[in-house]
Amino acid sequence: MGSAQGGRVRLTQSHSGRDTVPVQTEKMRHLYVVIDCSRSMEDQDLKPNRLTSTLKLMEAFVDEYFDQNPISQVGIITTKNKRAEKLTDLAGNPKKHITALMKAVDTVCVGEPSLYNSLNLAIQTLKHMPGHTSREILIILSSLTTCDPANIYELIKTLKSLKVRVSVIGLSAEVRVCTVLTRETGGSYHVILDESHFKELLMLHIKPPPASSSSECSLIRMGFPQHTIASVTDQDAKPSFSMSHLDSSSGPGLSLGGYFCPQCHATYTELPVECKVCGLTLVSAPHLARSFHHLFPLQAFIESPVENLQGDRFCQACQAELKDKSVFSCPSCHSVFCVECDLFIHESLHCCPCCIYRQTAP
Amino acid sequence: MKLNIEGLLVYFPYDYIYPEQYSYMLELKRTLDAKGHGVLEMPSGTGKTISLLSLIVAYQRAFPLEVTKLIYCSRTVPEIEKVVEELRKLMEFYTKETGESNNFLALALSSRKNLCIHPEVSSLRFGKEVDGKCHSLTASYIRAQHHSNPNLPVCRFYEEFDSVGRQVPLPAGIYNLDDLKAFGRRKGWCPYYLARYSILHANIVVYSYHYLLDPKIADLVSKELAKKSVVVFDEAHNIDNVCIDSMSVNITRRTLDRCQNNVDTLQNTIHKIKETDAAKLREEYRRLVEGLKEANVARETDIYLANPVLPDEILQEAVPGSIRTAEHFVGFMRRFLEYLKSRLRVQHVVQESAPQFLKDVFDKVCIDRKPLRFCAERLQSLLRTLEIADIADFSAVTLISNFATLVSTYSQGFTIIIEPFEDRTPTIANPVLHFSCMDPSIAIKPVFQRFQSVVITSGTLSPLDIYPRILDFRPVTMASFTMTLARTCLCPLIVGRGNDQVALSSKFETREDFAVIRNYGNLLLEMSAIVPDGIVAFFTSYVYMENIVASWYEQGILENIQRNKLIFIETQDAAETSMALEKYQEACENGRGAILLSVARGKVSEGIDFVHHYGRAVLMFGVPYVYTQSRILKARLEYLRDQFQIRENDFLTFDAMRHAAQCVGRAIRGKTDYGLMIFADKRYARADKRGKLPRWIQEHINDGSLNLTVDEAVQLSKHFLRQMAQPFRQEDQLGLSLLTLEQLESEEMLQKITQIAHQT
Repeated sequence: MGSAQGGRVRLTQSHSGRDTVPVQTEKMRHLYVVIDCSRSMEDQDLKPNRLTSTLKLMEAFVDEYFDQNPISQVGIITTKNKRAEKLTDLAGNPKKHITALMKAVDTVCVGEPSLYNSLNLAIQTLKHMPGHTSREILIILSSLTTCDPANIYELIKTLKSLKVRVSVIGLSAEVRVCTVLTRETGGSYHVILDESHFKELLMLHIKPPPASSSSECSLIRMGFPQHTIASVTDQDAKPSFSMSHLDSSSGPGLSLGGYFCPQCHATYTELPVECKVCGLTLVSAPHLARSFHHLFPLQAFIESPVENLQGDRFCQACQAELKDKSVFSCPSCHSVFCVECDLFIHESLHCCPCCIYRQTAP
Repeated sequence: MKLNIEGLLVYFPYDYIYPEQYSYMLELKRTLDAKGHGVLEMPSGTGKTISLLSLIVAYQRAFPLEVTKLIYCSRTVPEIEKVVEELRKLMEFYTKETGESNNFLALALSSRKNLCIHPEVSSLRFGKEVDGKCHSLTASYIRAQHHSNPNLPVCRFYEEFDSVGRQVPLPAGIYNLDDLKAFGRRKGWCPYYLARYSILHANIVVYSYHYLLDPKIADLVSKELAKKSVVVFDEAHNIDNVCIDSMSVNITRRTLDRCQNNVDTLQNTIHKIKETDAAKLREEYRRLVEGLKEANVARETDIYLANPVLPDEILQEAVPGSIRTAEHFVGFMRRFLEYLKSRLRVQHVVQESAPQFLKDVFDKVCIDRKPLRFCAERLQSLLRTLEIADIADFSAVTLISNFATLVSTYSQGFTIIIEPFEDRTPTIANPVLHFSCMDPSIAIKPVFQRFQSVVITSGTLSPLDIYPRILDFRPVTMASFTMTLARTCLCPLIVGRGNDQVALSSKFETREDFAVIRNYGNLLLEMSAIVPDGIVAFFTSYVYMENIVASWYEQGILENIQRNKLIFIETQDAAETSMALEKYQEACENGRGAILLSVARGKVSEGIDFVHHYGRAVLMFGVPYVYTQSRILKARLEYLRDQFQIRENDFLTFDAMRHAAQCVGRAIRGKTDYGLMIFADKRYARADKRGKLPRWIQEHINDGSLNLTVDEAVQLSKHFLRQMAQPFRQEDQLGLSLLTLEQLESEEMLQKITQIAHQT
């Protein structure tokens, strides 16, 4: 109970800090998550062990990430035995990542991780990402050592010049090199206290980071392909191979329907994706709309003690009686909410229900 | 900020102050008010230096007649430089606040090696060489000869200083060693002599202990310092050993051989001079008859710091006739030398007191006590007369003559031990004569008597009351300060058992025990897996460390540790150790992580700080008792018992615990730092040991951290390290352990501050 309470305080803090100053945030993110699979991941201080617990949280993370950042991409790298391997490439499809993560539960944890190799592997892809998008690496590090083939401080300089933001979540204690790495590249460094804290820290990375002022500002060409569903009886329809199946071995992917790139008419079974033929970013309108709320974040509600409240002591959202010491009121419509609803509104709804109600029914 | 310390306006150059700094200044002010001596313990990293400087400078400004000078003694050159930098910050703050430049003169003084700017001399590598070379260029007779023979080399910097440097005092300001050198270069003056001359009228002097405590150097440098000075000994937890070392003499066969050569050279030189310049020797003879009266006059008028080597009575008398002429003196030295050689030809250990020794000298070679006492003075005079340029070559004969003077002067407080071989190698004959001082108060007494206030301070001085006893002085204030913390950043754990419940201890009986060694290994292994970056582990001695490490290697523990961290080992070789240290820091920096195995009382335990990631945990394997079988130590313990009523065990425990505290204190160097302190010996849990740790460590040891097993310690450490890794900002400290002026002046805080100082 104590830690849950603490978690709420932390969340509301991080929240109000960000929301009071509306900042421009990254819309298109390219994030590599590096998961440490070294010997220390077998430690059982997270149940059942660190690896399983991490992978489980990662599944939730990937889901939530694509929910909040629909036109962004994620890739997963694992590191063990002084090497780094790509588990999944940068891609915008949560399903692929989640299957890979589920499979990874059986990995044998051996040796030491290598920060250098994992960062290097991530850079290889990230450096080709266009400048108007964010380049991020999130490292989940359980080990306290790293085995590097070269001086990591050189690599940190490279990361800095490439504007790659590196954040670290430590599972055991504060390691100096990570402090430097995150400080230099503008990322954040946290160490978990327990599993619920771990989850909170992970979820902090779902919110897009503020866009660096120096990032290129340009109009982005995007295609909005239409989903065509053709019936087999239709004579005009020609079956085609989905381009997204090119590099995966699962199924032939020959179908009649799908999303057709408006520029080159390549077929894709899912969105968002970058067209393999002409390089156009293909999204659907709902995707864009979902990342819209980051542009106009909902203002933080004003916290006030419950005694000051006049009239009915009921939360406007859930209609429950206000029993906590403090209540939250929307600065624009002055409706009052309980702490649970405040969290729910800011985390999931992203708009004040009472404001919306007033707009629709004046 | 400007503080009001019991009516004294103190300028403090920072916007925030720690509560204990305020408390420290209060105590210090009381010491100065009472014109007495003080013993103050405050943890390292809490701004001891700046508190001291701010208060004493303010005091000097407020009462210029009461306190004229601050003499700040520190141990190493980097520490001296740090003090000067703090002082510079303080003075800049004064200038900014008052708007006027105050004419304060503060300077650092170090050896010629660190201050010389002569292109040839300064390129020499060893301090002794530099001193010798400098002397050969600046001695008075060399310069006299230079007048007649301009080809003879002299130091132009010294010449320039000698001709004009003394007329204008050094302009007011703060000078560290580099500033002095730069100033010297600009003016063409010798910085060393300039500094030595300038300390007489400087307001603040920062230099090493030896300039006050070592009688041979103190006599040259510090004897004319004003009586109304405040003397501060920083990092003074080892001050008794410094005192003892400065008064002790060890003579080996090598020393005697070199001394023999020296005496031969003297004889030849005397012969030569006799043929060329007999008048010079006659002049010297006359001077010796006049005696040391002049020195006596000076001391009576209280200009000089008393010289413990040359006690007052000697000055009343003239040099005795038997050693007045040069040849007689050389003959006398020869006899004495032969006697010493015969004494070193022993087969068994001899221990005797100074009077016994003197009686034996008289019986065997008919040397009286009286001429022996004048030996050192007589030799100096002879060396001057003979115009011997390179004094460094005569160190052996100087040592013997010092020994002669000391042994004949002090009947108490010293012992003579002659050992035919070292205990460890009983087959190799290597006779040593230890003339060992057992009473540190002899060397420091002149300092306490002469100066108005002497402050002894360090991070680890517990138990406070023992210092006044062994140094034989009466302090007016004794206080220990704790560290106020916004978060508990130190975590002392006492591990008393292994996972198999075997008691962990380094005591003699279980030292070779396989189970203990294995459990120590397990402890280090487990710690290496959970502590990030650097771990420093201390052993009680080099021998013990070697045994354990060898045993760990055989059991494969080392190999397992190396999977987690690299291992570095301190050795007795200084170059090797500094190399290991450098690589250790590199490994910590790169995230590889490292363990440094070192020895309590070694170089690492005393002078090296392990800030932040360089030392996240310190392990103390065993209680670092001194080697108790040593005869010198036994003699000293006996003396302490008889003279000061300090029980042997009390002193041994005190000595072991101050070293343990020094070792573990290496890891915490400030309030933002954090570190584990692991005492791996069940004896630490006993009240008599625990009670001797500094208060700022003691108060974090609760019942839950006593007598833990390895596993329990690991669990506690894991939790601690995670807590400490959470973000920590300055705002978190503010109001608790870091105060603004308003917060400081609040009633409630002043109340709290009075509890910080723990009077004894």
